[in-house]
Amino acid sequence: MFAQQLVNGLVVGAVYALIALGYTLVYGILQLINFAHGEIYMIGAYVGIAVLAVLGTMGLTQTSLALSIVLVFLIPMIYCAAYGITLERVAYRPLRNAPRLSPLISAIGMSLFLQNYVQVVQGARDKAFPNLLELGSFQLFGAYVNGLQIFILVLALGLMAALQLFIKKTKLGKAMRATAQDRTMASLVGVNVNRVIAVTFAIGSVLAAVAGVMVGMYYGIVNHHIGFVAGMKAFTAAVLGGIGNVTGAFLGGFLLALLESFWAGYVSAVYKDVFAFMVLVVVLIFRPEGILGGSGGEADRT
Amino acid sequence: MRDKLFTVLTILAAAAFLGTAAHAATLKLGVAGPLTGDQAAFGEMLKNGATLAVEEWNAKGGVKVGKKKMKVDILWGDDRHDPREGVSIAHKFVNSGAAGIVGHFNSSVSIPASTVYAEAGVVQITPASTNPKLTEQGFSTVFRVCGRDDQQGEVAANYIVDKLKLKRIAILHDKTTYGQGLADETKRFLEKRGVKPVFYSGVVQGDKDYTPVLTAAKQKNPELVYFGGIHPEAILLVKQMRERLGMKAHFMSGDGIVTDEYYKIAGKSAEGTYITFTPDQTKLAAAQNVIKNHRKRFGKEVGAYTIYSYVATNMILSAIQATGSTNGSKLSAHLRSKPWNTSLGKLQFNKKGDVLESPYVLWQVKGSKFVEIK
Repeated sequence: MFAQQLVNGLVVGAVYALIALGYTLVYGILQLINFAHGEIYMIGAYVGIAVLAVLGTMGLTQTSLALSIVLVFLIPMIYCAAYGITLERVAYRPLRNAPRLSPLISAIGMSLFLQNYVQVVQGARDKAFPNLLELGSFQLFGAYVNGLQIFILVLALGLMAALQLFIKKTKLGKAMRATAQDRTMASLVGVNVNRVIAVTFAIGSVLAAVAGVMVGMYYGIVNHHIGFVAGMKAFTAAVLGGIGNVTGAFLGGFLLALLESFWAGYVSAVYKDVFAFMVLVVVLIFRPEGILGGSGGEADRT
Repeated sequence: MRDKLFTVLTILAAAAFLGTAAHAATLKLGVAGPLTGDQAAFGEMLKNGATLAVEEWNAKGGVKVGKKKMKVDILWGDDRHDPREGVSIAHKFVNSGAAGIVGHFNSSVSIPASTVYAEAGVVQITPASTNPKLTEQGFSTVFRVCGRDDQQGEVAANYIVDKLKLKRIAILHDKTTYGQGLADETKRFLEKRGVKPVFYSGVVQGDKDYTPVLTAAKQKNPELVYFGGIHPEAILLVKQMRERLGMKAHFMSGDGIVTDEYYKIAGKSAEGTYITFTPDQTKLAAAQNVIKNHRKRFGKEVGAYTIYSYVATNMILSAIQATGSTNGSKLSAHLRSKPWNTSLGKLQFNKKGDVLESPYVLWQVKGSKFVEIK
């Protein structure tokens, strides 16, 4: 049972972690909680369904599985990146120098808007996410492991590694770190801050899109309000790990999902969500900066 | 001169009011259920059934109340299976002068809403709320045309013990009035037959990942997993049992999962699912007309609760016509007074407002279809 709960938790953790990265990246640079981030993830899942529907009618899912898998992730990624950049442009950039509460309210407004927009356009019903990857299962230490679960974990870890490399090694990554440390100073030494912020939103949205498609594939069912709970959980994960800290968000995502999984398996499935938020409260009381500590401190001076 | 002008204006205004009042002399019927949201599939059945019945009455000129024929106007209420929403809709219906209510769909909504209707003396017929408590509250205005969960739970338990001959049963429910109520009834009857469930737990409605609780259930090696709840959760449960945990145990549930979405989305995993539901309505001679008209009007087949909604709507409107009144106590007395010939066959209400006979039978998902087990 322990091994099985570990597997259950790891897969959910991969999803939480990918969404949490989006929260933490934006927070690191703007000290803004982008509450509309969960909706970007939901939109990713919907675009995935649309892509699969088109590929299905073209017959591509039968003839070329590899290409289909690439497209079913790639197109939602592009789509969501555009959503993320637009979101920043429309809802946050005009409020860049406003009091901190204003962009927060703007974020909640965008979240409501996007959720209702998808409900109006796509209908309020659950949508089935077509089965694309039929992978076999095997037993491992008494746990039943599905190929799709491994696929999800590997993909999430790969993206995490790629993100770390991007932040540490590329020029744009360096600019991101500079902007996170001190936005004014960064602009003084020639960093195009607006561009860096747009890129940050795009990266967060791309990761959310991947999470959305993964969840669609994994559960086979998508609706317009999945973004809310997932967003709250991922936000909790980001705070747990230390908001603004990239490794922390990743760690927080896995930690939260594992705690949830073990709690539901060993103690009570009824109070699973209550437990998740209880953990958040306890962490905030005893270690307000999160497990690995946040990185928003220095930028707070601006 | 000014005074005269004022009088003329007053008369004109009053006349205008009379005009609109005469024009608006329609009979208002409240129809409420989860019209949007994850249970919208059920909402659509409710909507289509009521629409069909009302359109038929209106095509005949309306309902005769006393000497006057009145057109029927439906007030829609979307409760999104949320009890709070349901109560506020109930108040809205009562304040807009609804003569009767078809709904709500979910027991957890119908029960609190029934208090509002009972206080206002408005007749309510639910096509689908099966929790026993609804008609046990002692309200004279509450009726249901469907069965009760104590009947359903007994049929499920007996089938498990007598036909499937299984001993190791895991029971899950969604913590709602309907889901937990049904699961508890099934548990009670199983225990009566000497089968003590090996696992019992609630799950969070609206959650997406049930593998932790299913893993815990799997530890007990259940031969059958019984779920009290609605299809969105049932789909995820059965999928995750089969695809994530490789559980071979049978899956059984109640009338809350009888929608096409169940087998369409759950696909292969749904095959073999046992369901307790009423006998196949589409085979009833009395139902053939509705089925035909429904196909013509909406271009698709009736759902599990379409005919129930149609029947509930017709009963209220016929009772209004027969008594010539919209008074709740007169209507309830009339509804109880005689056996009704409906599209579901002969129905008669007992004192509580339950139908006298409501035999539940076993169904199974076979070849992406619900099939009644003979």
